[in-house]
Amino acid sequence: MKLTQKTILRSDELNCPSCVNNIESNLKSMKGVEKATVQFNSGKIEVEHDPELVTEEDLLASVQQSGYSAKVSPF
Amino acid sequence: MTSFNQYISLFKKPAFRKKVLLTVSGISILIGWFFLGVMDNPFAGNILMVLAAVVAGYEIIHKAWLGLRNRQTNIELLVSIAAIGGLSIGIYWESAAVTFLFLLGGWLESRTLQNTRKTLKSLVDLVPETALVVRGEETETIPARQVEKDMLVQVQPGGRIPVDGKVESGESSVDESAITGESIPADKRKGSQVYAGTINQNGRIFVRAGKAGADTTLAKIIGRVEEAQDAKAPTQRFIERFARWYTPGIVGLSVVSFIITQNIELAITLLVIGCPGALVISTPISVITGIGRAAKEGILIKGGEYLENAGKISALAFDKTGTLTEGKPRVTEVFSLQPENVLSGHEEIELEEITEPEVLYWAGIAESGSEHPLAKAILEKARNEKVIPEADTFQSHTGFGVSAGYQENKILVGNRSFMEERNIHLNEEGLQHVEALSEKGRTVVLVAKNGELLGGIGLFDTIREDAVSAIQKLREIGIEELVILTGDSDSTAQSIAGDVGIKTVYSRMFPDDKHKIIKQLKADGHRVAMVGDGINDALALTDSDIGIAMGAAGTDVAIESADIALMTDDLGKISEALRLSKLTLRNIHQNVMIALITVAALLAGVFSGEVHMAGGMLIHELSVLLVILNGMRLKWMK
Repeated sequence: MKLTQKTILRSDELNCPSCVNNIESNLKSMKGVEKATVQFNSGKIEVEHDPELVTEEDLLASVQQSGYSAKVSPF
Repeated sequence: MTSFNQYISLFKKPAFRKKVLLTVSGISILIGWFFLGVMDNPFAGNILMVLAAVVAGYEIIHKAWLGLRNRQTNIELLVSIAAIGGLSIGIYWESAAVTFLFLLGGWLESRTLQNTRKTLKSLVDLVPETALVVRGEETETIPARQVEKDMLVQVQPGGRIPVDGKVESGESSVDESAITGESIPADKRKGSQVYAGTINQNGRIFVRAGKAGADTTLAKIIGRVEEAQDAKAPTQRFIERFARWYTPGIVGLSVVSFIITQNIELAITLLVIGCPGALVISTPISVITGIGRAAKEGILIKGGEYLENAGKISALAFDKTGTLTEGKPRVTEVFSLQPENVLSGHEEIELEEITEPEVLYWAGIAESGSEHPLAKAILEKARNEKVIPEADTFQSHTGFGVSAGYQENKILVGNRSFMEERNIHLNEEGLQHVEALSEKGRTVVLVAKNGELLGGIGLFDTIREDAVSAIQKLREIGIEELVILTGDSDSTAQSIAGDVGIKTVYSRMFPDDKHKIIKQLKADGHRVAMVGDGINDALALTDSDIGIAMGAAGTDVAIESADIALMTDDLGKISEALRLSKLTLRNIHQNVMIALITVAALLAGVFSGEVHMAGGMLIHELSVLLVILNGMRLKWMK
């Protein structure tokens, strides 16, 4: 059985709505990420992923690679 | 080596990297200028300009490339093409300026947007991390979200309350502005409800925990605000669709004008000034700020769409009189009726006089088993005068009254038709009493014992103190049509409407009738808002364009379902909510206008040869900042 986990990241650096697509596609291109949605207005990034394949650090690195810093958030 | 690695990892941090790139590129441009202008050394000057363009361009090209890989043409792509084009035709300083200004603009946007997102962040930070839990004689500090239901939590004066719950002991006043937007502290004593994130001011209290962590009212509010900010307003959706075609369109325009004019500088200048930067940010910035500001005042707006709708409201219906009144009826009059001297045979029976306390006493006994608000009011009044025993038997006749038995007596309390159905008739004196009270807007119940009328009780739900001024404010902000829809009797409804200054009243309404009237208002061309208490009128609220729930703090249903939820019962917040919506809507329109006018003016400027690449970029970035600053005005705008 595959276990997916939902992790919420927050970034307050997002500055143009078009970057949202970059972050989303970058996250989705990782193996083990099932779903990724980025909300521009609130800066909330929701990722459903398999924690065995992708760790929270991996997610943060991916967002960083798209050009933004993020933090893991409890809700 | 370690320090080098540290530097590399620091450089990976986007915010830091941007600052470094900006500084290096900026300094290069300054020194480059010095060489070009003062030293008259174009070679060194141009090299520095190329360096500046490459340094600042690194970040931009990186993002353009990411976009291309995802098959998207983004703003960064336009700027990259322009900068590379500029370098290849030898306009070095212009290329440097374009990349530097674009990066600087992006960084400033980021900074100002961070500022706007702060409202939410400050809400998240309100909840204390830990709670002091009392276990017998001991206390223990545990993470706030691990507090379980029914644990006892101690809150020191000056401390923040970590959970939702009820005060078990102690007295204090609590600043609830985080939840309700109300700045006057609320007094709390045993049994009072308190919320996580509010500030305990002057006394130590013990709170019996109800909900903690993500279940608290504050967490629900945060969730709502966030969803609301992300829910795209129709304008935003439209602009995003537009932007998808716009960017390739600008590239096309640039190519076409190159083919026609053979002027490559003109073509790449078009790319730069055509950026839709201000346009795509125009709506989100207003929506984030508007919704954040409203949340701070205890007004939860469900999202951009509702904000746009609420800004257009022209008619408002109060669903039930309870929204305008305290919702707590009180006994205002009691009258007693003397039994008519019945001649039984020849002797006149000496009858005892019936007193008003007696009327209350028997009514109180009959109502002791009822949960109806009128019953509670009668019972409270009766208990003030005398100890009221419980009825032995009790039956409720919904919409009419109650019948009860106590010892040998049969008591009836209810309206006139309830009595008449049971063959108990009002005499002339009674009729006069009832009519006089009805005229004053009272709800009248009659009391009978063993088939004989004892008297009656007048009840009145006091109008909220702020009702008159709230109605006035609604008129001032341009709500033309104000109506009351109520299930109450005509006289009661008319009296309340008259007192608050509303002319149109529909009384004795059933839910279906209300639905028809809302429909009619819509057919007359109105955008209709409906105000209710959000709990038992959830359905009625959905009929209208905007459903407003009052007193939503603590009721999850209202927070989650209403289009606009007002955390307190403060009627003045209705006009405030609609006013803020109107302000936000106007702000969005202003922003879209700023963006469109700037692009149009720049386009005209480019084709007439007045605007060049660096100047165009400067004006473009200024327009983006102008839009953001205009949106941020909503934070403090009156």
